[in-house]
Amino acid sequence: MREIRPHKPLHFLILGIALVYVAVLLLAPIVSIIQRALENGFEPVITSLSEPNVIHALQVTFLMTLGAVLLNTVFGIIIAWVLTRQRFRGRRILNILVDIPFVFSPVIAGYTLIVLFGRSGWLTPTTIPIVFALPGVMLAKTFVSLPFVTREVGPVLATLDTEPEQAAYTMGASQWTTFRRIVLPNIWPGIMYGVVLTLARALGEFGAVSVVGGGIEGKTETATMFVFRALNDRNDIGAYSMSLLLGVTAIIVLIVMRLLRRSVVREQAAYVNHSG
Amino acid sequence: MSIILDKVRKVYGSQTIVDDISLEIQTGELFVLLGASGSGKSTLLRLIAGLLPADGGQIALDGRNVTALPPQERNTGFVFQNYSLFRQMTTAQNIGFGLEIRKQSKTVRDKRVTELLKLIGLEGLGSRMPWQLSGGQQQRVALARALAYEPSVLLLDEPFGALDVKIRAQLRQNLLEIQRQLNVTTILVTHDQDEAFELADRIGIIEGGKLLEVGTPNALYRRPQTRFAATFLGAANLLPGQRNGTHVYVGDTSLTAPPDTEHLSNQPVEILVRPEEVELALQQDALQSQLVGHGVVQQVGFAGPLERVVVRLDDANFEPLQVLLSPEKVRSLSLARDSAVWVGLQDYHLLPRNGEAVNN
Amino acid sequence: MTTYPLNSNPPVSFTAQRARPAWGKLLLRFSAVIYLLTFVAVPVIVVNVEGLRSGLDAFLADLTRPAAMNAIWLTLWTSAVMTVINVVMGTLTAYVLVVYRFPGKDILNTLVDLPFAIPTLVTGVMLVLLYGPQTAIGGFFQNQLGFKLLFAPPGIIIALLFVGYPFVIRAVQPVLLTLEPNQQEAAQTIGASDWYTFRRVILPAIRPAVVTGGLLSFARALGEFGAIIIVAQRPQVATVYLYSQVEAGEMQAASAVSVVLLLIAFIITLSVDLVESRHHA
Repeated sequence: MREIRPHKPLHFLILGIALVYVAVLLLAPIVSIIQRALENGFEPVITSLSEPNVIHALQVTFLMTLGAVLLNTVFGIIIAWVLTRQRFRGRRILNILVDIPFVFSPVIAGYTLIVLFGRSGWLTPTTIPIVFALPGVMLAKTFVSLPFVTREVGPVLATLDTEPEQAAYTMGASQWTTFRRIVLPNIWPGIMYGVVLTLARALGEFGAVSVVGGGIEGKTETATMFVFRALNDRNDIGAYSMSLLLGVTAIIVLIVMRLLRRSVVREQAAYVNHSG
Repeated sequence: MSIILDKVRKVYGSQTIVDDISLEIQTGELFVLLGASGSGKSTLLRLIAGLLPADGGQIALDGRNVTALPPQERNTGFVFQNYSLFRQMTTAQNIGFGLEIRKQSKTVRDKRVTELLKLIGLEGLGSRMPWQLSGGQQQRVALARALAYEPSVLLLDEPFGALDVKIRAQLRQNLLEIQRQLNVTTILVTHDQDEAFELADRIGIIEGGKLLEVGTPNALYRRPQTRFAATFLGAANLLPGQRNGTHVYVGDTSLTAPPDTEHLSNQPVEILVRPEEVELALQQDALQSQLVGHGVVQQVGFAGPLERVVVRLDDANFEPLQVLLSPEKVRSLSLARDSAVWVGLQDYHLLPRNGEAVNN
Repeated sequence: MTTYPLNSNPPVSFTAQRARPAWGKLLLRFSAVIYLLTFVAVPVIVVNVEGLRSGLDAFLADLTRPAAMNAIWLTLWTSAVMTVINVVMGTLTAYVLVVYRFPGKDILNTLVDLPFAIPTLVTGVMLVLLYGPQTAIGGFFQNQLGFKLLFAPPGIIIALLFVGYPFVIRAVQPVLLTLEPNQQEAAQTIGASDWYTFRRVILPAIRPAVVTGGLLSFARALGEFGAIIIVAQRPQVATVYLYSQVEAGEMQAASAVSVVLLLIAFIITLSVDLVESRHHA
């Protein structure tokens, strides 16, 4: 499709509708949180964010998100590889499984963890507590953010020319070496993109972690759970400050995503223009 | 004996792509596997490299049975039609990759890379990235990359298919020189018979997964055993005839039976005569070759350095003959549409008429 | 047919060999399967087992409790309304992003991904700040029009529209981008108006993507929790009902509703898979 500069009234109308819609739906709420949180300046925000239980909540969030991201990145790549490069019975089912966390309500996910690992759960281990403890929080975050790396890396792998890999094999490179030296550099943008999406999703999870973690202050309370509790405790400034922090983090994530996408497109264009 | 294939087979579902092919290739030979698209030639090459597992048969390279070995352990060099260089590495890194895998020291690698860059005529371009090179240059790098670790066998899959005609001709010459210099056993797959003629020590014609004929370019062109090979390797005039003990009856006349056709005695045959072996004359006694009949010129057309003349023989049983003559000859005979000519055959060969070659 | 029998005595032993099994390949496959089974299949199984543990009767009884039925119904119709609006606006926005050049286009393109990045809870907080009864807008609707925005279906739909915003857009955008301009230009030279061209040339081409995007945003809306629990704790949508049952220890009731939600979501995923495979066939 060719890009045009709007010049007819109809064009402006359509463009206008789209812009007004996004302004009302997306921008207005963002403006309100910024306005409300910074009503009395930066100081109250910084103060409330420096409280010990807030700091702890941020730590919990950071560490558990990191764990979820690592797990989902490693396995996400493996799953993408297996789905695109191997042929076996049940591949289609596996493919569908990957998409389930997209449609599986996080609350149900948290609930499942309780059924599995709760006090009288199916698989409750005796040594490490999972429910109402950090492992449960990490599992919940891992579940909800599972598909992203696979879904970003998969299409890249599928359309990647496999002949350089075959060339590497004939030259004596093992499958691991070939993956590391030949494939990985080519799927790197897909991985980065997937990681960023995984990070954002895991970071912002609420339903599952609140059910599984219990939001125990100073122990399993995450940043999002803190906001929820703060609202119930009428700690408005606390809630809004944390919301602002999470929102700003999200916007930074967004900008990183944009930059990555642009660099991917640029690299592909350079290659296409010069090869052959 | 550098490459031995023994009844190699590959099946996809219900289709047999490579049908029990057996072949021996000598050390240092440049063997060309010639066939149309879908004939199985590229698949066979990949079976030899180990990039595809064979469903039957055995493969030996340089005295080793490699049938069960993965491609990493077969020590072959493979050049793809689309070059398939490693995009993220420089030319030098691409070429040196095989040596890196074999844990050669940097000094050894650098020396070899420089040698190879010189061999392929790209000295000094070691730090270029693949996308900075032209198609022909990339293919040369692919060749150097495959040769760097001195494989026992070099395999090329339609390596010049993606390049312009002029570049193709140049690279063919380069390949020939390099192959002769290094004396590396080589299999080149192509559908272009000119390429096969120029490069091959021997040609193997493959069709429908089967190896139809193997021979030197000259032998296959002049004395093919199958109709397929005859028509595949160049324009072919085919006249129906009957061979007895010493002669071939064609139309109203007879010709002496050509050598090496005793196995077709007393059988219906097809006479194969190449366009350049047909002689035309204005009077019957001006013919220096054996007379085959009289006919009328249908067309005189331009074919570059030669003229293509189409002659319809008086005997309606025969298809029009394609004849290639020098422009000088056409002028001297004043050939034009409807000119009456006498037709003679200078060099001809016989093929069995039902289309199949007879076992020797 | 001529054959070419080997006439040399092969200096190699040609005893039949079998290919070695590919351990690395199997290990990878094994890891992938185990990971997915553990993290995805197990939860699905757990929910279903727990839900049907006391038998079908108890399951149906739990399901048909008024609170449960109302919750499911509320979820379904608000998600449906949201999907319809989202399909229209999403297609329109995708069209704008692909076809028009305007200042700030890059920013809009980036903003589309915002709902992916923002925690849903924060979304809820922002919406309360904007539309709550104490604000100008919320107050206006409530007092002048007698119509609650928050703690009512409209608020729920707004929250769902926020989180579902990218789905249709990102499904339709790539298809529009790779659409060849020839057909559109041909239609224009023949004299078709923009709307006619859109309806008869472009729309059929993007229909599968629109359907996929719609289905995905519907599925997403079914499971939304974080934004809605802030914006409307009552009336309860299915996920909020679920949460309240889990908190109250009513595992059976929670399971019953979970099974239903899961089933619907599963059907949607299958439909998406079907649409995509038929389109690519």
